[in-house]
Amino acid sequence: MKKFLCVLLAAMMIIGCASAMADEKIKLQIYGQYADDDTKVPYDYAVEKLAEAYPNVELELIPQAQDDGATLLALATAGKLPDIYQTGSGIVTTLRNSKQMMVLNDVAEKTGFLDKVYATEKQFMFADDGNIYAFPYAGQEYVLWFVNKALFAQYNLEIPTTYDELIACADVFNANGIVPMALFGQEGWISAAMYDAVATRYINAGIKGIDNGTTSIEDEAYLKAAEKLAELAKAGVFQAAVTTTNYDQASEMFLGGKAAMFLNGQWYIEDATKALGDDVAWIAYPSYDAASYEANKHAFSGGGGSISGYAVNPASPNAELAAEVAAFISEKYCEAKVMLRNNPLVAVDTGLVNENFPPMMQALVAEMPNMTSTTAFTWGLTNTTWSNAIGVAGQSLLSGQFTAQEVIDQLVFELE
Amino acid sequence: MKKYLSNRKAIIVFCLPALILFCVFIFIPILQVFYYSFFDWDGVNKATFVGLKNYTRLLMKDPTFKIANANGFKFGIVITVYQLLLATVFAIAVSDKRIRFRKFFRTAYFIPVVLSVTVVCQLWGNVMNADNGLLNTLMARLGIDWKQNWLNDRNTAIYAVAFVNAWQWMGYQFALIVAGIKSIGEDFYEAAEIDGATSLKAHWHITLPLLKDTFNFCLLISVTGGIKAFSEIDIMTGGGPGTSTYTLTYIMYNNAFTRQKFGYGLTSASVLVLECLAIILVLNWLMKDREQPLFSRRKGVDLV
Repeated sequence: MKKFLCVLLAAMMIIGCASAMADEKIKLQIYGQYADDDTKVPYDYAVEKLAEAYPNVELELIPQAQDDGATLLALATAGKLPDIYQTGSGIVTTLRNSKQMMVLNDVAEKTGFLDKVYATEKQFMFADDGNIYAFPYAGQEYVLWFVNKALFAQYNLEIPTTYDELIACADVFNANGIVPMALFGQEGWISAAMYDAVATRYINAGIKGIDNGTTSIEDEAYLKAAEKLAELAKAGVFQAAVTTTNYDQASEMFLGGKAAMFLNGQWYIEDATKALGDDVAWIAYPSYDAASYEANKHAFSGGGGSISGYAVNPASPNAELAAEVAAFISEKYCEAKVMLRNNPLVAVDTGLVNENFPPMMQALVAEMPNMTSTTAFTWGLTNTTWSNAIGVAGQSLLSGQFTAQEVIDQLVFELE
Repeated sequence: MKKYLSNRKAIIVFCLPALILFCVFIFIPILQVFYYSFFDWDGVNKATFVGLKNYTRLLMKDPTFKIANANGFKFGIVITVYQLLLATVFAIAVSDKRIRFRKFFRTAYFIPVVLSVTVVCQLWGNVMNADNGLLNTLMARLGIDWKQNWLNDRNTAIYAVAFVNAWQWMGYQFALIVAGIKSIGEDFYEAAEIDGATSLKAHWHITLPLLKDTFNFCLLISVTGGIKAFSEIDIMTGGGPGTSTYTLTYIMYNNAFTRQKFGYGLTSASVLVLECLAIILVLNWLMKDREQPLFSRRKGVDLV
């Protein structure tokens, strides 16, 4: 009897241990954006789908800080990168040289991710050494100049096509307590994007030209663009606290009908449509005169593609699994963006059809074949000094307190 | 006690843990800062020795270096004047037994110190917002045409941020000075009272001179705090508008962590360390220099 009981107890212990081991989930740390609907919705959707496809995997999210990659670099310096992390172009070279970024060529093929990536996006997946270091989810994204048509109509104003018209509109809006253009200038990238939107009227390569060496900051076009942006700021086109306004504050001004214009990426279409309906539209960027407006109507800031997306830490104890999960998550992000955020500008062909894109998105998709040039967002720039310096320069100009020459001189110094 | 003090082994045993901690967490990192300042280094990969290149670029060419030093000076002045002056006045006031609600005031002055820097900066950021901040709105409601762009003006932003720092940390210096006042014996004041000294004269001739060491310490933390200011600047202005609120610490952070130029960032850090050291030496020398005249004057002073 005693023997029987001993055997029974031992068997129960073994079964208990085995079932406990089977239930044990593999935890993967992931460093990704989780700040607004455009980042939260795709992440939550991907996690939900991951639980079905990989029931043994649990993600532990570390929300990405809006700090131009500072946290990621600090983690890399300390050798404490998470298993999966979101990365931009600027840090790829540094981390791949330090072997903290896994080569994902095999996983991209094995999981079928590579086959699903749109042909137009595929070229951006490969770094200059021919390897894949990140699974992208965003497609070509663009800087859009949003307008509240209802406010323009209310004050009998035409949508501006030139800077003079823009300043005239700003005078009317300011006189009536409306902020002409709300900008979250606290963030470097949007300050750079605003400068780029003006610079592309003078030189289509914009801020990307300096990054890839096709243009020089000493080209006169960049000085002219700086002069124009400083002039717009002095004329009161932007709110007084522009350099300390964050995204939530600026967006609230625009969506709340307290600002007539807003600059952001095309991912904002969904939120803007939800809040303002048919009153909101995006317009071609104004220019210095009517002729240049017409000539540059299809030249956009943003786009350009970049090596960005979810990368994997090769030192992770579950690196192979993390790579598979990174590919899976990137694909699910694309699905969520298409179906839940009405944004078809994604990297992967999900095979899903959404016929409910908002009019602004439909207009953008229709515009894409006509685009004559694109530039880049700051996270798509490879020179980290330049991507940071142009954000600071943009902010200087937006404040209206720095001369264009002063700002260009600083940039020349930074790029020395 | 004498037995222990004459025992070298005991002294070593008692001092060693603190010395080891100091070396590991302070001295060696400082040496590393100086070492890497001579390299071109992205913080992750192998560093390349560049000699004095980082120093010549920072000290001779970088326009933000001049701005950063000027800002450190302005920041230091604002917080020193605000904190030392108010903390002293408040500390003397709450040490006076005739003042009612002394405990309440003691707690109230110290409350900002225990708040998070982020909370304080958000609070004051909203108060100072140029578009819809409390200050400008209040002025407008009162019919006063004095709208200020506190945090977005390149000439005034550093003072606005320094004020926030001074407001938050005044309570810390207040606590130090209150503790200093409490350590002064009552007999000094009783003697002064017998001599017919007014309360003001008693504080002027007794409290202030006897708080010299406390003031010295407060001055050191204020001035060096100004030079190495970072948190409030990062949260409230992000160094802006443009580069107008940069400090040496901000140059270090910006280069090291956003531009991946750790070598250059550490050059800024090493200059910061040297500046702080120089200031400590100068302040100590100044205070030492004034020690004799102040005490000798007090000896023969007529309190009436």
